[in-house]
Amino acid sequence: MLETLTLSLSIVRRNWWVYRKDFLANISPTIADPAFLTLSLGVGLGAFVTSVDGHTYLQYLAPGLAVSTAMFTAFFETSYGFYVRMTFENIFRAMLTTPIGINEIVLSEFIWVALKGAMMVSGICLVLALFGLFTNPWLLPICPLIGVLVALPLGAIGLIASCYVKNINQFQTVYSFVISPLYFFSGIFFPLAQMPPALRIIAECLPLYHGVQLSQALFWNREVVATWTVHAPILMVYSTVLVTWAFRRVRLRLQT
Amino acid sequence: MSRNDVIRATDVRKSFGQLQAVNGVSFHVREGQCFGLLGPNGAGKSTLINMIYGTTLRGSGELTVFGLDPSHEARSIKRRIGVVTQDNALDESLTVRENMEIYAAFASVPRDQRAPRVQELLHYMNLGHKQNEPIASLSGGMKRRLVFVRALLNNPELIILDEPTTGLDPAVRHLLWGKVKQLKAEGKTVLLTTHYMHEAEVLCDQLLIMSAGQVIAGGSPEQLRAEHTPGYVAAFDDPPRLAALKAHAESHGLQASQDSSGLYIRAPHLEMLLRFQSENNCAAIQMRPSNLEDVFLQLTGQELTADA
Ligand SMILES: Nc1ncnc2c1ncn2[C@@H]1O[C@H](COP(=O)(O)OP(=O)(O)OP(=O)(O)O)[C@@H](O)[C@H]1O
Ligand SMILES: [Mg+2]
Repeated sequence: MLETLTLSLSIVRRNWWVYRKDFLANISPTIADPAFLTLSLGVGLGAFVTSVDGHTYLQYLAPGLAVSTAMFTAFFETSYGFYVRMTFENIFRAMLTTPIGINEIVLSEFIWVALKGAMMVSGICLVLALFGLFTNPWLLPICPLIGVLVALPLGAIGLIASCYVKNINQFQTVYSFVISPLYFFSGIFFPLAQMPPALRIIAECLPLYHGVQLSQALFWNREVVATWTVHAPILMVYSTVLVTWAFRRVRLRLQT
Repeated sequence: MSRNDVIRATDVRKSFGQLQAVNGVSFHVREGQCFGLLGPNGAGKSTLINMIYGTTLRGSGELTVFGLDPSHEARSIKRRIGVVTQDNALDESLTVRENMEIYAAFASVPRDQRAPRVQELLHYMNLGHKQNEPIASLSGGMKRRLVFVRALLNNPELIILDEPTTGLDPAVRHLLWGKVKQLKAEGKTVLLTTHYMHEAEVLCDQLLIMSAGQVIAGGSPEQLRAEHTPGYVAAFDDPPRLAALKAHAESHGLQASQDSSGLYIRAPHLEMLLRFQSENNCAAIQMRPSNLEDVFLQLTGQELTADA
C-alpha cells in the first residue's frame, strides 16, 4: 500500500515536471477563460441584470466559475492528456516495465487532477476575493477542497472516456454531450429554480451542481455547514462510483 | 530444466481475438545466458516479452521468471529486471537527466542514490555531456543509448532488450553490443530480440526462432548452422541464367534457393562450390561460410530485414 502510494507520487512528480516546462502555456487557459468570462458576462451582461438571488450578476457568477475551472482542468487532463500519454507517447508501456502497475498509474492520475483542481480553484478564488467577490476571507482555506471534490468525479469521467474513444477526435462528442451540459446546467450561470421542474430535477442530479452549491455557500458565506454536510457527501459518492469504474476500464485497456 | 533457470516457459499461449499471437512456446533461459528470440515481424516476440513482466496476461501454459508467476507476482519480477522496450517512450519535453531521475524513482532507487546512479549510467553510455539537453534534441542513436541505460537503473539481474539496435548506425550498434557483452561478463542474464542475424550470432548463446507464434527451431548459433545450413554459400546474381544454374545445382545434389535478391547455393565443402563455378563458367558475387541469415531464410522462407 505504501509502495503503491510512493510509486503513484513519483508519477505525479513526473507530470509536474512535464507541466512546469510549459507552465505559462499550460496555465493560461485556466486563468484567461474565467477572467474573460467575468469581464464579458459579469461586467457586460451583468449591466442588464439587476439582481440574481439577491446578488449582482458578477457575485452570482464568481463561485460557479471557480468550480468550472476545476471541472475543465480535471476533464482535459484525463481525457486528451491521458489519451496522448497512453497512445501517442506510449508513456505507460515503458512505466509498466518498472515496479509500477496499472493501479499506480490510475491512482497517480487522480492524485494529479485532485492537486491541479485544488491549485486552480485556490488561485481563482484568491483572485476573485481580491475583487471583493468572496464575502468572508476566513473561508478561503476551504476552497482547495472544492477543487478536489470536483476534480475526482470529472477526472474519472475523462479516464472512462479515454478508454472508450476510438480516436482522439471522439472527445469532441464527449465534450459536447457530457461536459457542456454540466457547464451550462449546473447553476453556474443562472439559478436552477428558473428551469422547468422536470429539467431541474435532472440538473440537480449532475455532479457539478453539487460542486456549485459548495462553492456558492463559501463565496456568499451562506449556510456553509448545512450546505457542505449535504453536498460534499453526495460528491464523494459520485467520486467513489466513477473512480471505481475508471479503475476497471483503465485496467481493461492497459492490460492486454 | 535446471535450478538456475531464470525464465521457464512451457506451452505458453496468447491470443488476441481470433489471432494466435503466441501459440505453444516452450523454452528456458539459464542464469548468465544471452538468449535470443528471432522471428519475422508479427512472430509474437514482443507479446512473449510482455508476458514475462505481466503487462500481457498469458492465455495458458506455464511461465515463471525467477520462479515467480508474472500474472500475480509481476512487481517482484519487475524489481529484478530491466527492459528496453521496442519503442523508446521517453518524455520528449524533459531533459536526459530528468528522464533518468524519473525512472530512478520508478525503479525504487533510494532517493540519496538516484543522482549518483544517474550520473554513473549516463557516463557509462557517453551521454554525460547531453544530460541537460531535451530529448527532442537527441539523435535516434542517443535516444536508444539512453533507453538502454534507463533499463539498468535498478541494477537488474535480467535484462530484456526488444530490438535494441533496430535502425541504428553500425557504430552505435557496436557500442551497444560491447555493453551487452560487458553485462554478460558481469553475470547478468540477457533476453534479446533482433532482426539482425549477425547481432544474434555475436551476442547470443541460445536462440529460438519463432514464426507466426510458434517455435520453428532452437539451439546455439553453431547448432542451428550445423543442423540447417552446414558448410558454405555462394550467391549468384545473373538473372537470365539463374533458373539453369539452379537446376544444375539441384541435379548435382546441392541445396539451392532463389528469392528476389538472387540465387543461393549451399554445399558442405567450399571445393564443391568452386567446382560448380568452373563447370558452369559463372562467378559468384559472394562465397562465404553459411551464417544465421541463411538458417533464417531456410526456415522461414522469407527474407529478414530490420526495417521490414
Ligand atoms: N494488444 C494487441 N491486440 C491485438 N493484436 C495484437 C496485440 N499485440 C500484438 N498483437 C498482434 O500479435 C501478433 C504478434 O505481435 P508482436 O508484437 O508480438 O510481434 P513481434 O514478433 O514483436 O513483431 P515485430 O518484429 O514487428 O516487433 C501481431 O500480429 C500483432 O498484430
Ligand atoms: Mg516486437
